[in-house]
Amino acid sequence: MNAEFEYTPFELMAVAGARELKDGEIVAVGLGLPVVATFLAKRTHAPNLTIMFELGVIDPEPVDTGVGLADPRVWYRAKILSTFVDMLGTVLHGGRVDVGFLGGLETDAYGNLNTTLLGDPKGKFRHFVGSGGANDIASSSRRTIIIVRHEARKLQEAVSFITSPGFIRGGNTRAEAGLAGEPSRVITDKAIFGFHPESKRMMLLSIHPGTTLEEVLAGMSFEPIVPDDVPFTTPPTAEQVRLIREEIDPEGMYSG
Amino acid sequence: MDKVATLSEAVATIPSGAHVALPGFAITRCAMAFASEVIRQGIKRLTVSQCVGAMDADLLAGGGAIERILYGGGSLDRFGRLSCVNRGIEQGTLVAEEYSSLSMAFRYLAGAIGLPFVPIRSLRGSDVLARLQEIAPSATAYVTDPFTGEEWLALRPLTPDVTVAQVQVADAEGNAWILGPRWDNDEQVKSSKRTIVITERLVSTETIRREPERTVIHGFRVDMVVPLPFAAHPTSVYRAYDYDAEHIRMYAEAVKTPEGMRGYLDAYVYGVKDHWEYLEKIGGTKHLNGLVADDVLGY
Repeated sequence: MNAEFEYTPFELMAVAGARELKDGEIVAVGLGLPVVATFLAKRTHAPNLTIMFELGVIDPEPVDTGVGLADPRVWYRAKILSTFVDMLGTVLHGGRVDVGFLGGLETDAYGNLNTTLLGDPKGKFRHFVGSGGANDIASSSRRTIIIVRHEARKLQEAVSFITSPGFIRGGNTRAEAGLAGEPSRVITDKAIFGFHPESKRMMLLSIHPGTTLEEVLAGMSFEPIVPDDVPFTTPPTAEQVRLIREEIDPEGMYSG
Repeated sequence: MDKVATLSEAVATIPSGAHVALPGFAITRCAMAFASEVIRQGIKRLTVSQCVGAMDADLLAGGGAIERILYGGGSLDRFGRLSCVNRGIEQGTLVAEEYSSLSMAFRYLAGAIGLPFVPIRSLRGSDVLARLQEIAPSATAYVTDPFTGEEWLALRPLTPDVTVAQVQVADAEGNAWILGPRWDNDEQVKSSKRTIVITERLVSTETIRREPERTVIHGFRVDMVVPLPFAAHPTSVYRAYDYDAEHIRMYAEAVKTPEGMRGYLDAYVYGVKDHWEYLEKIGGTKHLNGLVADDVLGY
């Protein structure tokens, strides 16, 4: 894959996510790979990032990998331990969150996210985790970044259930619904997408090294907008990969 | 005023059909001993609520004690799904009013501060709201901002019959300290008609008076105080004990099927007389000592 060192698709996704975060921003983080990406950004180019977990945690510095937000391992050395109303209320709903960072079961051509159910909502379906803070984060963050595996079943024309709204049905439908901010990026293990400024439909921005346009399109259930020139995604540096493997996710729980 | 009671006495005050707000978040500070005692006492048709669905709600669902859940979705973190809650929703035996974490928290907040409704930006444009409007038509409505003329989604206040608070430290009156993040617990207690505090440690009021800035539950709101160690096992209690990974893994695997759930209930709920027997069954002092939290780490 790379002449000097190998990296996994998950490590590339985490690095691509980290690159989207600017120093000094406030980031609301969901579970899994977004946590790896955010800690990576904070340890490299964005030391003044503020990391927020919905249940009431600001800027932890874990020394052990946790099994989720409910694991005290993830709260270790936090600067603030408080409540939903404090975090999702005063910080997020109050308009202070720059970036919301979410994963999901499936997303679609307009960046809507489903974490609730697969199947027919009125008939037979399988029920999953639901919203948690994801709907709140997608409704009030200035920009939302979505991380999802690049598989046709996870990249649908329209999700079967909108748990967390993106551009809804495109055009002005998000603004008309009274939501703040908007989705900015969808990061998969094959490519990075943005959204068309007017139609709000998903638009290919870069393809990961070693992947072809055909592979990107074959792994999607809809046609994204494809500009004439699509560059390759900048690969991770050796130092970024070392930080992920040795310090941020040594057990490979999220990026292995 | 001394409000100390046994778990059995406290649970006996909850009538079938009541609305109980639960303290857990996924696999931390869940009211597990409480849930087991509710099932043993045969209390049925409860409505339960919490911002993020947790293991206490899942055990109650598996034990057939609840008919309605108001929650923002939930899981056992990486240990798996809330299989009993999800199975109930999929089969239509459990009515689920699904929200987001903040919309649940705002409903408790409105109840706590006595507002007729609270506007929120969340939920709009989502199928979470569309489904909620079908299942609970009176939980939300649209209002016009009297200052700007903008339209907002409004949430109705939530006022549970009872909140169960699972805390680290409380005195006999119910003044309580919750260490670590508190998710929706403050607003749950303050929006409820009654509160039962289950505490790892019972301390004197003099201890509370020495550090009153740590008190997050007002004693005057509390009806009963149940001192009970390891009452959240197998979930964690910050600065007291870690989660019991082996037990949660075993539970998550067992409850994937209704038969497995029955097996779990027979062994760990019906198979023991009370919480003290449960603690012996899971390995007693020797096993629990291995879960005690490190002072620096908190887990």
